[in-house]
Amino acid sequence: MADELKFPNPGERHVARDADSLDERTVRAIHSAYSPPVAGDQNAYWNSLQQRIMARVGAVLPAQRGQGWWSVLSGWSEVGLVAAAALFVVGGFVSNRLGEPDDQVAYDSVVQPSTPEAISARAQLITASDQSDQRDAALQYILSY
Amino acid sequence: MPVPPRINDEERELVAAAKAGNQEAFSGLVRLHQRRAYLVARAIVTVHEDAEDALQDGFVRAFQALDRFDPSQTFGAWLNRIVANAALDLTRRRKVRNTEELSDALRSPFRDPAENAELRERLADALAKLPERARSVIVLHDVEGYTHVEIGEMLGIPGGTARSDLHHARQKLRELLKDLRG
Repeated sequence: MADELKFPNPGERHVARDADSLDERTVRAIHSAYSPPVAGDQNAYWNSLQQRIMARVGAVLPAQRGQGWWSVLSGWSEVGLVAAAALFVVGGFVSNRLGEPDDQVAYDSVVQPSTPEAISARAQLITASDQSDQRDAALQYILSY
Repeated sequence: MPVPPRINDEERELVAAAKAGNQEAFSGLVRLHQRRAYLVARAIVTVHEDAEDALQDGFVRAFQALDRFDPSQTFGAWLNRIVANAALDLTRRRKVRNTEELSDALRSPFRDPAENAELRERLADALAKLPERARSVIVLHDVEGYTHVEIGEMLGIPGGTARSDLHHARQKLRELLKDLRG
């Protein structure tokens, strides 16, 4: 396929000339100065350069294309990992929120003091059952906790 | 004003096949465009070996970006912008080269024997003395025939700046070559 291509002539592109343009001789000399420094067969040079370019392209090719169906899966694996991580975070948050009422009740039952009514009733009970010694009553009240 | 060449059917087929991963088709595109792309790179980096590096890098980038190529554009213009960018990246990475080194880079032993030796020598020295961008603009415009707008797109500068650079570069070059014998 490539052999059927026509090479563009280096002078094919029309160069717009104006009153300020450089003279033809200087332009030709600049063109010559910027051409590849090749002795002999120019086509051999370009063929060699083409091969080197394609070798570079070939080196990146496996990473870019044609790795088979598993390359499609590997492309999706990143998306899958992100989705799984997001699900894990959301799931953990939801689970945490749902378990919170039970935890809160358990926490309150341990931390919060008894209501004043309960304390008062208990104190009266202690006082009534043993009025002889207020100090013993206070001690029992403390020990009851 | 030159009319930009339209993408032909053969090239369109090569681009489509290359997009589908056909290496042979991409090789055909390389064969078709490497000469002009080389001159674009060389106009920017000046040194032959750097131009080859930039060219190879540009083609690799183009291959990687094929999916983003708009088929309504000309492939050559799109490619040359990529190659020019690769060349500009290379010049940023390279140390600033001195005038003597650049002059040597433009004074190749493999030249047309009919070419005026004095002109060749003086021109190499004169081009090496031009600022980097002015040198690129004069080669891309006066030798390769790109418009100011195209050059601006390649070098990342406004078209008006490319026009102004060209004017100053021509003036400077004439001044440096004014006593040259005909």
